[in-house]
Order: sequence, then structure tokens, then C-alpha cells
Amino acid sequence: MTIIQILFWLLSALVLLSAIMVVINRHPVYSVIWLIITFFGISGHYILLNAQFLAVVNIIVYAGAIMVLFLFVIMLMNLNKDMEPQKSKWLKLVGAIACGCLLLVLIAALKDIDINNQIAETNTGNIGLIENLGTVLFTKYVIPFEISSILFLSAMIGAVVIGKKD
Amino acid sequence: MNALIISAVFGVIMMFTGIFVKQKPVTRNIAIAGVALLLLVNILEMSGIDFFKVHTAGFMLFDRFALLFNSVAFGSTLIYFILSAPDMEKVGHYYADYFALIFFILCGVVLVASFQSLLILFLGIEIISIPLYILTGSNKRNLISNEASLKYFLMGAFSTGIMLMGITLLYGATGTFDTQFMNIETEGTSALVIAGMLLLFFSMAFKVSAVPFHFWTPDVYDGCPTVFTSFMATVVKSAAFVGFIRLFYDAFGSIHDDWKLVAAIITALTLLVGNITAVFQQSVKRMLAYSSISQAGFMLLGLLALNATSKEGIILYATAYSLATIGIFAILLKMNDHSFESFNGFARQQPLLAGVNVIFLLSLAGIPLTAGFLAKFYMLKATLESGDFLWLVILAVIMAAVSVYYYFRLIQAMYFKEGDGNAIEVSPGFKLMLVIVAACLIVLGVFPNLLLNWLYF
Repeated sequence: MTIIQILFWLLSALVLLSAIMVVINRHPVYSVIWLIITFFGISGHYILLNAQFLAVVNIIVYAGAIMVLFLFVIMLMNLNKDMEPQKSKWLKLVGAIACGCLLLVLIAALKDIDINNQIAETNTGNIGLIENLGTVLFTKYVIPFEISSILFLSAMIGAVVIGKKD
Repeated sequence: MNALIISAVFGVIMMFTGIFVKQKPVTRNIAIAGVALLLLVNILEMSGIDFFKVHTAGFMLFDRFALLFNSVAFGSTLIYFILSAPDMEKVGHYYADYFALIFFILCGVVLVASFQSLLILFLGIEIISIPLYILTGSNKRNLISNEASLKYFLMGAFSTGIMLMGITLLYGATGTFDTQFMNIETEGTSALVIAGMLLLFFSMAFKVSAVPFHFWTPDVYDGCPTVFTSFMATVVKSAAFVGFIRLFYDAFGSIHDDWKLVAAIITALTLLVGNITAVFQQSVKRMLAYSSISQAGFMLLGLLALNATSKEGIILYATAYSLATIGIFAILLKMNDHSFESFNGFARQQPLLAGVNVIFLLSLAGIPLTAGFLAKFYMLKATLESGDFLWLVILAVIMAAVSVYYYFRLIQAMYFKEGDGNAIEVSPGFKLMLVIVAACLIVLGVFPNLLLNWLYF
């Protein structure tokens, strides 16, 4: 077992554990903290794949900006107590069956994957480096890249329309 | 490409109009001119005149189907602006920004109608959805509007997440985003492909509000300011359908047998639940929300059949449904409240408006000589041509009969019930426009080829 494999299993265990904690924790603030740990674990995976840029962006955007927003919302709405409403037993049962079916399908799908010829490019792949990412983004994917600017522009107008005082 | 660029540019122009133009009629006229220009350049592109030579690198394909649907969408929006744009003034203070958001939605409509890559589909759906969340909540002082906006946002975000998951699985299975080069039949249908396809199917079913993914629709359509419900239920919904059909035609047409049973069950449920629940509604606006679900059931037949007839049918259906629904909403906007009772005695007060309203309702119900009849006919014909689903055709015909009940309830209220109603005032231009829309419905009901020939010539 190489050091990369050991790191991979450790990070995977960390991500899975903290993701489960996000869901089962009843206290919203603790959920958010666990979510931050999840993001750091995923960033660790990016680094193992030699995608340092993605790792840094993941931490800046998700663990930084979006998590701060989450915390602000939780604090402003004063949600920092254990106040989850009780659902009826039947609703829980139906939810468990539906999600169980989805889990089954996804496991079946993932079981099929031929992992022998598509191993992760640890340490050798270089698409996650900023230079290659930029090249691909501005050559092959330039059209979706430009179109996404329309998306952001409309979102900005929307934020102003909703947020401005009448 | 013409329409895509010009609609984005006009979104920006409308933004600046909000700063420099203070008179509302001027703003409105700029917007109407903008949509008319969009329609014109799109028709020019259909005749082969393309102003912007952009190499789309296989991300988009502006074929006849996409261009014709764009024309239908722009035409419907033009009519919608002429009929209902004055009513947007009452919603809030950002008159020009509402137009800007609608132009961005049109940009998304172009993308969804012409995508060839799952990336563009995702971007198009998002460009349609995000301005719609805002428009739904644009009546900021109304709690119901806020609730509708939040509900729509959460549901939309979930379904977009499901769509992304599906796209990821498909990329993992095929190694490409391009719907033309997925080669699903040669790669074999692994569980990964099927799981990804079903996730995409469910998220698109969310967007077109097919049962059992319809729960957001009545609340959102009801809470949204009526003038925006009209746009949302027509142009946006038919665009989502065109995207849906295009996706399954291009990417999954070769494994039709693997998913058509799921599609058939969802279609049957949509027809049943949409029509039966619409019968029990007391408000015309909510009835139209359920009617949009039941009409979605008919459009799903086109997805199920997936042949040339269904492509013709979806264009005709989008036209007939959009025109009739925009017309009914335009009249509904003039009423003081949205109950069936407010239409009592309407025919005596406004004989002309009541008359055109009857034509719209007949078209939605699918009575012969209107475009709605031929649209339904094409859908059923496409299903029959595809073979297996005779029971679904029978169910659809029965449900069309059920739909007559709730559409005729409005006609009954207008013509056969006494009531003081509410004295409404409309301009002669408004009446003329409604008459033109009704005339279009009848002309298309007699000569559908006036529209459909554009697909081929």
C-alpha cells in the first residue's frame, strides 16, 4: 500500500463520515461545521489527483464563501437550536423506501463500472492544473463559458430586483 | 445564433432602459420592438440569413425544428407582451428589469431548443429557471408570492441537482457530453447509462411538471403574479418540452425500448391526475394550473412516440396551447378576482371578449376546427404510429372528454349565469389583438401546414 492509497482511504473515510454527520446532526450549526470538513476532505482528493487549482477553488468558494453565507443565514434566522419539526411515521417510512430504491439503483450502476482500465490518474494527470484548465476553457469550452456569463448576469439582475428596497 | 445573441443583447438594453427611460409606455414599446426584432431575425435565419458566423463547435445545432420552435416562442412572447405588458406595471417598481429577465429567459429558450451538448442543456435550463424564480417572487409585499418563489426555487434547485447527477453518470459511462456521439447502443446499456438517463428523465419531468413531480406547479402558478404565470405556463413550459424531446430523441432514441414503459406510466398518471384534479378547482387561475398539467400529459405523448409526427405535433401543440392560454390569462388579468363566479354574466357585458374566450377554451379542450384539436390529433396519431400504446390513446381520449367539463364550466358561467360581474374596461387595441389570436387558432385548426411546412421547406 503506497502512501497515496493510504491517504485516499483516510480521506474517503473522513468525507463519508462527515457527510453522514451533516445529515444526522440535529443542530444546524454543527451540520455546517461537518459540511466544511467534508469540503476539505474532497479538496484533499483533488490534490491527490494533481488538481491543485480545483482544490484551492473548492476551499475558497465552498468552504469559504458559501459556508459563511450558510452560517449567516442560520444566525440571522436564529436557527441555532434543536427545533426540527417532527415528521409522521409514515412519511419517514415512505422517504426511507424511496431513498433506499435510489441507493440500490446507484449501487447497481456503480457496480458495473469497469475499474480495471479507468484508474484514477493520481499524480500523473495534469488537467486540474490552472494552465491546462484555462486552455481548455478558452478553446474547446469557450461557448458554454461565454453563455454562462448570461446566466450570471440574469442572476445579478434578479438579486437586485429582489433585494432592493421598494 | 441570431436570436441567441440578440436576445442577450436586448436583456442588457432593457436593463439600461430602466435607468434612462422613465416613461413606462416607452419601456414597453422598446420591449415589444425587441421581441418583434427577435422574431424577424429568427425567421431570416430560417431562410438562411445568419448575421453572426459563430462556430458552435458541436455544442448547438440550429436545425429547422429548433428554429421553428424559436419562432413560435418569440411569436407567443410578442403577443404576450402586446396583451399583458401593461399589467406588469402593477406588480412592482422594476418594470424594465422584468422585461430584461424575460429576454434572458428567451435566451435560455433558444439554448434549450437547440442544444447538442448536455452542458448547454444545463445552462439553458438554469438561464430559464433563475429569472423565473425572481419573477415569481416579484410581488414582494405579497406573502403568497414570496412563498411560491421560495418553493419554486427549492424544487428547482433539487431537480437541477438531480439533472447534474444524471449528466455526471452519463459522462462517466460514455465519456462525452455530446448527445450525438454518446453511442449508447454500441456501448451497450450499462446500469450506469440507465441510471443517468432516468435521473435526467425525472429532472426534466420536474421542469415540465409531469405527475408525480407536479406538486410544486399549482402552488407556484397560483402564488406567482398572474401576468408572469401566463408566461411561465406557456412559453417556458413548451420550451422545456422541446428540450425534453430533443434530449431523448438525440441521446436515447436508440434505447427507446428501455424507457418507454416509464414514460407511458408517467404520461398516464399526468393525464389522470391533471384532469381529475382540475375538475374540483374553484379558482380559474388554479384550474388553469391543473389544466397546464393535463396538457403536459398530452405533450408527453409526443415524447413517448418519438417519431417525425411527434416532432410536428409538439410544435403545433406548443403553438395552440401557448396562444390559447396567453389569451385566457390576458382576459383573466382584467378581472377583479379569479373565481369562476366573477365570470358570471360576462357575455352580456363584453360579448366580444366572451366570444374569443370561448374559442380559446374550445381550443384547449380540443374541439374540432381549432388548433387544439389538431394538436391533440397529431399527438394521438404519433402514439398510434409508434405501436404499443393503444390503452394510453384510449385513456387520453377519455381524459380529453373530462377536460371539456372544466373548460365548459367557464363558458357556462359566462353565458348561462346571471351576475353583475365586474365592469371591466379594455382598449380597442386589446380586443383587436385577442381577435387576431383567436383567428390564428382557427386558421391553424384548418390549415396546420401553414406552420408545419416550415419544418421542411
